[in-house]
Amino acid sequence: MANYFNTLPLREQLEQLSHAEFMDNTEFTDGVNALKGKKIVIVGCGAQGLNQGLNLRDSGLDVSYALRKEAIEQKRDSWKNATDNNFNVGTYEELIPTADLVINLTPDKQHTSVINAVMPLMKEGATLSYSHGFNIVEEGMQIRKDITVIMVAPKCPGSEVRAEYLRGFGVPTLIAVHPENDPQGKGWAEAKAYCVGTGGHKAGVLKSSFVAEVKSDLMGEQTILCGLLQTGSILSFDKMIEKGIEAGYASKLVQYGVEVITEALKHGGVSGMMDRLSNPAKVKAFEISEELKDIMRPLFQKHQDDIMSGHFSKTMMEDWANGDANLLKWRAETGETAFEKTPAGDIKINEQEYFDNYTLMVAFIRAGVELAFETMVEAGIKPESAYYESLHETPLIANTIARKKLFEMNRVISDTAEYGCYLFDQACKPLLADFMKTVDTDLVGKNFNEGKDAAVDNAQLVVINEILRDHPVEIVGRKLRKAMTAMKAIKTV
Amino acid sequence: MVDPVVHIANLTIQHGKDSVLQDLNWQIFPGEQWILGGPSGTGKTTLAKAIVGQLKYEGTISFHLDNNSSLPPVVHYVSNWFQFTNLEGDRNFYYQQRYNKFAKNDTLTVFAELKHFAKDEQLAFEDVAPYLTIFGFENFKDQQLIELSSGEHKRLQLVKALWLQPQVLVIDQPYTGLDVQSRKDLNQIFDQLADKGVSLLLISNDDEQPDCINRFAEIQNGKIVLRHHSREISRGIPRKRKELPYFLQQPPKISDPTMVKMRQINISYGEKQVLKNIDWEVKAGEKWLLQGHNGSGKSTLLSLINGDHPQAYANDIHLFGKKRGSGESIWEIKEHLGIISPELHWYYDMNANVGQTIASGFFDSMSLYQKLGYEQQQKLDQVLHFFDLKDAKHKTLGSLPLGQQRLALLARTIVKHPELLILDEPCQGLDKEQSQYFNDVIDDLSKNGQTLIYVGHFQSQLPTCIDNKMVLEKGEIKSVERVIHKKETLST
Repeated sequence: MANYFNTLPLREQLEQLSHAEFMDNTEFTDGVNALKGKKIVIVGCGAQGLNQGLNLRDSGLDVSYALRKEAIEQKRDSWKNATDNNFNVGTYEELIPTADLVINLTPDKQHTSVINAVMPLMKEGATLSYSHGFNIVEEGMQIRKDITVIMVAPKCPGSEVRAEYLRGFGVPTLIAVHPENDPQGKGWAEAKAYCVGTGGHKAGVLKSSFVAEVKSDLMGEQTILCGLLQTGSILSFDKMIEKGIEAGYASKLVQYGVEVITEALKHGGVSGMMDRLSNPAKVKAFEISEELKDIMRPLFQKHQDDIMSGHFSKTMMEDWANGDANLLKWRAETGETAFEKTPAGDIKINEQEYFDNYTLMVAFIRAGVELAFETMVEAGIKPESAYYESLHETPLIANTIARKKLFEMNRVISDTAEYGCYLFDQACKPLLADFMKTVDTDLVGKNFNEGKDAAVDNAQLVVINEILRDHPVEIVGRKLRKAMTAMKAIKTV
Repeated sequence: MVDPVVHIANLTIQHGKDSVLQDLNWQIFPGEQWILGGPSGTGKTTLAKAIVGQLKYEGTISFHLDNNSSLPPVVHYVSNWFQFTNLEGDRNFYYQQRYNKFAKNDTLTVFAELKHFAKDEQLAFEDVAPYLTIFGFENFKDQQLIELSSGEHKRLQLVKALWLQPQVLVIDQPYTGLDVQSRKDLNQIFDQLADKGVSLLLISNDDEQPDCINRFAEIQNGKIVLRHHSREISRGIPRKRKELPYFLQQPPKISDPTMVKMRQINISYGEKQVLKNIDWEVKAGEKWLLQGHNGSGKSTLLSLINGDHPQAYANDIHLFGKKRGSGESIWEIKEHLGIISPELHWYYDMNANVGQTIASGFFDSMSLYQKLGYEQQQKLDQVLHFFDLKDAKHKTLGSLPLGQQRLALLARTIVKHPELLILDEPCQGLDKEQSQYFNDVIDDLSKNGQTLIYVGHFQSQLPTCIDNKMVLEKGEIKSVERVIHKKETLST
């Protein structure tokens, strides 16, 4: 199979990359009608599979689950999830031929084998749905021409998809139709109905394309979302130990700090986060984040270039074929870092202290979010897509670090994200070595404002605030957040 | 002179601009067992939380605990509401979660929770057994915390407190959700604890109190006022009956003469059967009382009607004239009914303000996510006025006393004037005057042909309009009867 994106002429590549339209509520007035009475078969019953299925059924749709024979015979968790909630469960052979819509919610790595098993069984003119386009765009999977191919991708973990639905809301969702596979022109209607069925239409829907989704998703997860959070956490912890900060405190500050700091992103974007600092700390965070942007820009660009050229997916698939040798090695190394192995101390750190004593992380986040956004937009991705895959998702990933550190983050995210995260981390740490030599405990571990005069230069502060607020990620962010105002805070510590 | 065990001096606590406690002074001496009573909203819970250090305050609170005693030198607090977290340490639950099954556990089991507690407090695990028996927890050990009802959570907290036997034990509403026998057992244990030297502080307006109680107090104008007997503790002011808003005086629109029809309902979780062969019909205009002990299946039965239980799809249920699982959405079902329960309250968004809370009833959501139309605004204002909640419209739910939170949630159930009201222990945690007021409202609504399912414990006050009664026992129907001599039948 050839990389689909690379088979396209430049004009078509640019066209597909530029799909990003924030959809109006009025586009969803038809509700779930396009799927009403149709047979929906979900392949896979993990967190996304089960929770999306529960939502679709509660929206009045007919849902069953197709599982592999072994999963049924051995009564695996996926089988239990489906049957304990009274869903009809059957093998591929039993259920796929009856399906009007097959929803593939298996892990990315299994897509090729799942699609190869499912496609021959699908009935003429049915629809196949993905929640991530890697298989189509990077692996170049060719789907039978009579089949409609759509994507519905809720931008939250499965448990959230369910929780928000039952609260009467939903989670932001991205939808797309594959231009090579829409023979009857029904793709958008079905993608919208599916989105309504999961509750996504209430929380903001982005009309995208398979190409735009994949190229922006890969970029975000490798750089700001996982890669930089990992690098920043490890370097911050090591610095505090080097400077004699108590290990339990350092561990707690890093583990929960990213979450508390990025929670501010959710409400007020990068400038909202920076506003949580005192004026002198804001000035300092601005200065070092500018420096960080200069240092890391080439690395962000390399990641984007490798994603666009297909080099990234090619090397990763080689590792898959090699029994995940690199992935497993890097995973083990991450598990051995001092930060991972030091439990968080039983110390109370209040919310503001996370900002005041961890100014370095605020600088990392600002640099990472803006760089990822800028790099994506330069590569032809629309600001709306770039916003989702950088700023919007950062707090969601930070939340996983608060749970069980980097181990949890890398366990929860996809294999693809995990691989890209390690790749970034390997390259980024040496790049920042000289910079880290200049960092002391006023930036990480102790209150930045301690023993300092709170005075700042008026003119300088005004300039900095303007630069922060006028950044394109803030402009598009203000627009998109307004549409999601009702979104509940994901959690509290 | 003996030192007081608890010494509170010049305690002042403010919620926003309003001071709840103002220069409060109080001393608890060894051998004293206190009841703190009085109307809802006087600051009882605030005081208890300050004592255990959960709230910021001005003034001093000091303790003289005995390090040589066999009892652990700690002050332990059992809150009115138990807040647990999932295995990942957060509280992002939703209230239907206990009905959705996921192979991986979300929360600790009761057994693991007790093990943790034993380890933290260095208790011998064998010693917990008698308390588990008294509160009927023997069969709950493997159950996850998320699967327990609010009453069961309360009892689990009591088990831990009694097991710990701290030198000072503060309990907010110890009797909530307990039946007659459990209350008696609990009072006996309180007496035993008092003999051993535990200082008790019970926040309660209940008539049944343990014999050991020898001091009484209430809070007035932010200060402690001592009383000689619980009879002297003030009651809330009985609320004046008001005329229902005009739109609620109209009969609700009925979509089908038979609102609920269930045939041979069976619900089980793995080996455990929660409902067995239930046949039940609720006709338009009927007012049902549903009773049964904790764990008898009441909430599960109601969750089938409310569209919240996934196993509804595998059972023969007709709701409002439509067969369940015939292409309807849960939102279409919820449009027909208004529901309130202690669990819904527990999971409701405490950051929503009162206006948003009530208005969310138009959309059956757990917070307000949509804009209100003109007519909806009008109805909201009328309902706010009716429940005397106008001043609280912009206050967050979490900042109000429990009784007012409940009223707001009751208002939420009726604001869209649904054809069926499901009130699952609506008065739990309310004082007598509030309960009476609440039930009077229900009686007024019932005159207009309102259909009702009301869950109340045997002892609790009930509305007088009830005309049918069903009792569940261990998941089965124990009895169904028409209620003719309302008062006599209900007071048994």
